[in-house]
Amino acid sequence: MSAPENPRWLNEIGDELRREVPVRAAWRSQLLDDIARLPVPTAEDEIDDGDRDSPRRSASRRIVLTPFTSLAAAVVFCALGASAMYVALASRAPGGRDIIASRSRTDPSSTASASATAQELVRFQLSAPNASHVALVGSFNEWNPVATPLTRDPATGTWVVSLRLPPGRHVYAFVVDGDVTADPAAPRAADNDFGSANSVVLVSGRTS
Amino acid sequence: MRFVTPPSVPGFNRVVMTDATLVRRVLEGDTAAFTMLVDRHAAACTRFAIRMLGNREDAEDATQESFIRAYRSLGRYEERQAFRTWLFQILVNRCRTAALRRQRRQRMFLVDDNAVALASVRPAAESSGVREELQRAIDALDPDQREAFLLKHVEQLSYDEMAAATGVGVSALKMRVKRACDRMQWLLREVSDVGT
Repeated sequence: MSAPENPRWLNEIGDELRREVPVRAAWRSQLLDDIARLPVPTAEDEIDDGDRDSPRRSASRRIVLTPFTSLAAAVVFCALGASAMYVALASRAPGGRDIIASRSRTDPSSTASASATAQELVRFQLSAPNASHVALVGSFNEWNPVATPLTRDPATGTWVVSLRLPPGRHVYAFVVDGDVTADPAAPRAADNDFGSANSVVLVSGRTS
Repeated sequence: MRFVTPPSVPGFNRVVMTDATLVRRVLEGDTAAFTMLVDRHAAACTRFAIRMLGNREDAEDATQESFIRAYRSLGRYEERQAFRTWLFQILVNRCRTAALRRQRRQRMFLVDDNAVALASVRPAAESSGVREELQRAIDALDPDQREAFLLKHVEQLSYDEMAAATGVGVSALKMRVKRACDRMQWLLREVSDVGT
């Protein structure tokens, strides 16, 4: 079905191009034979051929050292060094404390309660006065929409929750009445985790 | 754990089992469930690949590689994303790789200018037929525009799904689709009155 706002000629083209392309039985059979020869995948499987096609939950791939990879490694190490320097400098900036994200800056007092295990208390907040339920999902709670509900401040209509997070980069989003939405006050996830609206918080792990 | 293979009533499994359920079953050892995923998505994947690459042979190779890679990395699939979008993400990359591979082949072997010129002459036998004209118009698009146009107006993905599948931002995708539509309209006006 074509979108109603499209011009007629475009709908006609779409309909024509959308006509079923028959799948050859021999091709299907060959594909299923090839798949049958593969080991059964499990939830913990990793691809070991440098595949970059699918999003990854974690990254442990075989590295082959070539001149190109050496150069790439040098560039990556420089970038990591620069990032580490940025994190270190930013974490000492006034008001920035230990956490580099708009979420944490909204609560400077949060770092005062940093635990000895280097986890940092990060405050997430979202202004959504008309929402009836807001939850936090992210890499730290397995994207579970019921694990981390936010509480609403009736005076301001702001939803808040504070979490202790380990040092590192955490991708997250809010679920507002069932809709996933990025944090409007935080950086968007720069990578291609799943293409939907996600935000990023960096936790430095430093204690002040 | 061993699952009993579901009854092979046409349409039955399609209704009662979501793609995510089928993925879970594969990961739990019921590899037959992947056959259902292949049967659900192979036609659309092949169609997209044929439109992208212009011929069935390359398209079938790209689609086959995509399914095999999807199977091997099924453990990384997360249900918050539609399986189709996830699969198309792999397929888009396979098609890009296939197109690059073909470019290299052409650079290696088509060094005779006359041969190149002759190869680009449109065969008279194919000069009729709406679909052939459409495919020619699609072939004439820049690859980025072609990819965006097909995902949007043929596979009917949302812009968010397209962004997930291509790794390109929504704004850039909208621009590509717009330019592709303008170009398609112009190209098709050249051969017929489709655009009027």
